[in-house]
Amino acid sequence: MEEKPRFNRRRLALQFAFWFVLLMLLSTVVSKVINVGKDEGQSAYGDDWNDMSAFRLDINEMGIETKSLVSSPLLLADIEDPANTTFIIAGVERDTISLPQFSSDGFLTFASEDGYSPAEVNAIKEFVFAGGDVLVMDDFGYSSSIAESFGVRFKGVQLYDTVYVTELDYNFVWMCVQESPCGMDGTQLDPNTVENHSRWAISDGGAHICKVYDGRAIAKSDAGVCEQHWKDGAIQYNASYQVLLNNITGIDILPNTKTGMGATQIRSVTSAEATIDVNGDGEIWVGSEQNAETPDLWGQFNLSIEVCISQDCNFRDGGRITFIADGSALINALYDYEGYNDGDYGKADKPIPENDNRKWAMDYIVDSLVDPEATGESADVPEVAPNAMVIFDESRHIQPSIASESYNTIYFLLVYFTGEGLAMLLLFIILFITFEGVLLKKKDPEPWRHVFSIIYYGFGDANRYTYYAKSNKIKQVFLSKVRNQNGLSREEFDSLPARDLQGMISDPVLVKFVFENRNYSLEQTVAIVKRIKVWGRT
Amino acid sequence: MWTRKAAFTFTGGIALILIGMMISNHQMMILGLAFIAFIVVNSWVSGHGDVEVQRTLSADNLYKGDDLYVELLVTNRSRRKTQQLEVYDNVPHEMKLRSGLNQMRLNLKPGESARIRYVLRCPLRGHYSVGPVSLRYRNTFNLSVDEMYVDHHSDIIIFPQIRDVEEAFIRSRTAKMYTGATTLRTPGPGTEFYSLREYVPGDPFKNINWKAFARTGELMINEKCRDAVTDLYIILDSRDIARIGTVLKNPLEMGTVAAASLASFFIQRRDSVSLTIYDEKLSFLPPDTGDKQYFKILSSLAGVAPRGTMPLQAVTNSLAARFSRGSPVFIISSCEGDGTVPSAVRDLVGRGHEVTVLSPSSIDFERLVSRIPRMSYEVLKIERQNRLTSLAGFGSQVIDWMPDMDLSQALLQVRGY
Repeated sequence: MEEKPRFNRRRLALQFAFWFVLLMLLSTVVSKVINVGKDEGQSAYGDDWNDMSAFRLDINEMGIETKSLVSSPLLLADIEDPANTTFIIAGVERDTISLPQFSSDGFLTFASEDGYSPAEVNAIKEFVFAGGDVLVMDDFGYSSSIAESFGVRFKGVQLYDTVYVTELDYNFVWMCVQESPCGMDGTQLDPNTVENHSRWAISDGGAHICKVYDGRAIAKSDAGVCEQHWKDGAIQYNASYQVLLNNITGIDILPNTKTGMGATQIRSVTSAEATIDVNGDGEIWVGSEQNAETPDLWGQFNLSIEVCISQDCNFRDGGRITFIADGSALINALYDYEGYNDGDYGKADKPIPENDNRKWAMDYIVDSLVDPEATGESADVPEVAPNAMVIFDESRHIQPSIASESYNTIYFLLVYFTGEGLAMLLLFIILFITFEGVLLKKKDPEPWRHVFSIIYYGFGDANRYTYYAKSNKIKQVFLSKVRNQNGLSREEFDSLPARDLQGMISDPVLVKFVFENRNYSLEQTVAIVKRIKVWGRT
Repeated sequence: MWTRKAAFTFTGGIALILIGMMISNHQMMILGLAFIAFIVVNSWVSGHGDVEVQRTLSADNLYKGDDLYVELLVTNRSRRKTQQLEVYDNVPHEMKLRSGLNQMRLNLKPGESARIRYVLRCPLRGHYSVGPVSLRYRNTFNLSVDEMYVDHHSDIIIFPQIRDVEEAFIRSRTAKMYTGATTLRTPGPGTEFYSLREYVPGDPFKNINWKAFARTGELMINEKCRDAVTDLYIILDSRDIARIGTVLKNPLEMGTVAAASLASFFIQRRDSVSLTIYDEKLSFLPPDTGDKQYFKILSSLAGVAPRGTMPLQAVTNSLAARFSRGSPVFIISSCEGDGTVPSAVRDLVGRGHEVTVLSPSSIDFERLVSRIPRMSYEVLKIERQNRLTSLAGFGSQVIDWMPDMDLSQALLQVRGY
C-alpha cells in the first residue's frame, strides 16, 4: 500500500514563522532605505511649480554645465576643479542611511539623524577648502550637520516676520539681502529701507564682478556674465535684492566654533519683530523670558549667512558656503514668478509678486563661477570659467518611483563602499572572501574518464570459523562422517549401541575423543582433525 | 555555467572596478570593465550540442571475455560551429577499454561528421547498455561550459563462456547416460529423410519437393524421420550464498559457465534442454531444442544475480510434475546453507531421474577472499565431504568442483562416493 506523505504541522509552522520574520525584517530594512514619495520632491530636473528647472535652465543658458549628484556628496572628493564648481543643496528632504563608519577620531560610529554622514560632511568641507562654493537652502530639513560643521545652525522651526507679502499670507516672507532689516510701508515693502548687498556692493576684494564693471559703457554682447545688469549701453549693477521666501526658519551662529574658515558673515536678517514658533503649535506666545507659558521667541533672526575661507570672501580665492533659511527660495513658483503667474507650472491660486530671486541667484552663480583669472582690468566683462559646473544634490530628495529610488540607493551604497574608510575595509574583506570562495568552491567539471571497476568480494560468515574449531563441532562432523561411511540413517545411527559405534570407529584416539568430554589443547585438536581426515580411507 | 576562469575574470573585474573607485584610478576601472565586457561578449558566443549521434556495435551478443568494437558517428546538424565540443560515450564500468578512446574533443563545422572508434573487452557476463552519449560544449575562451546528453543507448548481452565438454562426456561415466538425438524409423519432425508422399492441404511449403513436382507435375512432400531426443534438466543455484569468492571466481560464475556449456553440448546433440534458476524466486525455462532455446538459455544465464534463499526442495517439489520421466537432471549448486538438498536429491532419484550434482566448492572459493584458519578449513571441508557423500548415498552422481579446476576436468571426476 502506498504510504501517504506525513503532514508535519510543527515543521510547516516553523517554516512559516521563519519566512514571516525574515520578510518583516527585510521590509523594515527596505522601508528605511527606500523612501518612495509622491511627485512633491524638489528637484532641479522636475518641471513642477515646486521644482527648480527654471533655475537650472538659466544656468545652462549661461554656458555652465549642470549635473546632479544622486548618490552621495562623497563624490565631491573626485571633482577635478572644485574652485570652479558650485554645489547646491536645496531642501534636504530625508535623512542619510545610517551605516557604520570611522569618525574623525578613528572610532566606529553610526551616522545620527542629521542628514549627512560625517564622511559626507567632511567631503563637503574638503570641497569648500579646495575652493568650491556651496549653497545650502533649507528650513526644516536635515542639513544641520553641514551647518554645524561651519559654525551655524538652522533653527528648524517656523519663523514669522512682519515683512511679508500681505496679498498672499504670512508664510511668504521678504528677505532683503543686506546688513540691516528692511521694513514695510503699509502693505508694501518700504523702498527706503532697502539697501545693497553687504559684500557684493562694496568695492573691495569681495565685490561682485558686476560691481567691478558697474557703469562701464559696453556692448551687450560683451557684457559677459553681467548681461542681466546691462542696460542702456552700460553695466548698471544694482546690488539690492528682495528675495521672496516661503515657510522659513532662522539661522544661528554657533559661538566659539572651530571650523577652520576665515569669516562668518550675516548677509540677511529679519525685522526686529520676527517671531519663532518654537513648540510648533501654530500659535505665538512670547514674553520677556522663554518659559512654559511663553515658549516662543521674538526679535531679529538671521536669514542668510555666508561662511568663507578668506576674510573678504573674494571670488578668486573661492571656498564659500552660503546658508539660506528657506529650501524653496529657488523653486519655479518664486524664481520664475512670471511663468508661474502665466500658468506655465499649472494653475496659480494667487499671483506671486515681483521679486529678485532670479537676479540674486544669477548673481550668486556669477560670483561663484566667474573666471578666477578675471581682474577687472579687461575691457570686456569676463565669462564664466571654462570648466564651470553646477552640481545639484539629488541624493537627499525623495524620488517619485521605486526604480529611481532603488537606483539612488544602490548608487549611494556603491559610493559608500568605495569612499568611506570602514566600508572600504569591509569591501576589501568581502572581495577577499569572494575570491577565496571562488577559489575553493568554483570547480570546473571533472574531465571524463572511463573507469574499469569490477572489484567485488563475496565474503562468507567469518564468525563460524571459531565455531568450527571447537571440539564439540568437530565431534559432530566426525560422527556424521562415521554415519555416512557406514550408510546409516540418522535414526539407525542414533539407536546404535556404544560398543558397536566404538567398533565402527576402531581408532582408540578417536573413540576417546568421541566418548570422553574433556578439554583439548590446540595441538591435540589439530592432531585429532588430521586423524579424522584420514579416517575411513583404509 | 561559468568556468572557474570566467568566475575569476568576473570577480577580478568587479574587484578592479571597486578598488579603482576606491583609489580613484581610472585605468584600473577600465581594466575591470574590460574584464566584465570580455565575459559579456563571450556569453554571446557560446558553443552548442546540437549534434546527431549514431552508434554501431560489432555485435549485440557476446561471450564473456570477447571484444566489442564500437563506432560512434557524430554529426553537427546545426548551422553553427560546435566550438569546443567534448563527446563522451558512457560505457559500463564493468567493461574494459582495450584500444581507442570513448571520448573526443571536436570542433565540427555545420554538417561535418566525426567518428570515434574504440574496442571494449567484456570480462563479465550480464545485460549491459552502452550510452547515453554525454556532450560538454565550451566557448572559444573556455569561459562557459554546458553539459547535456543524447539519450542514445545500445543494449548488449554478454553470455557466459562456453567450455568444451565433449571429451569429458565421452570419457566419463556421464556420457553413457546421455546418448543425444537418435533417429527412429517413424515419420515425424526430424532431420533425416524418411519418404515422399502426396501433398495434403496444411503441409508447410518448405517441405515440398520441387524437383519431384517438376518431374511428375504433382505436389509431393518430403517426410523426415522423427528424432528421439533426451530432455535434460539443468537446475542452477543462484542463491545469495553463491556469491562467495571473487568477481570472476565464485560458485555462481562457475555455475553459469557449467550450465551454458552443458546446454551448448546437449543442444548441439539435438537434445532438449531445460533451465531452472532459483534464488529468491523460481524461473523455469521449459525443455526445447534449437538455436532459439540456446539463445534463451544464454540470455537467462547472462542476467543471473545472487539473491534469495529458496531451498532446493521447494524447487523440485514445484517442478517434479513438469520433469519428463527418467530424464537426467543436472543440479549445479554448492549445496551450502540448504538442508533440503539431500531430500530433494533423494526425491528426484526416487522418481527415476539420473541426478548429477555439480558442486563448486564454496569453502575453497571463500578461501580466495578470506583467511580461514587451517583447522576450521579442514573441519569445514570434512563437513562438506560428508554432505556430498550423503548425496551420493542417495544415488546421485556428485562432482566436487574446485575453483582452479576446468569444467571438463571436473566432469571427469564423477564419483559415486
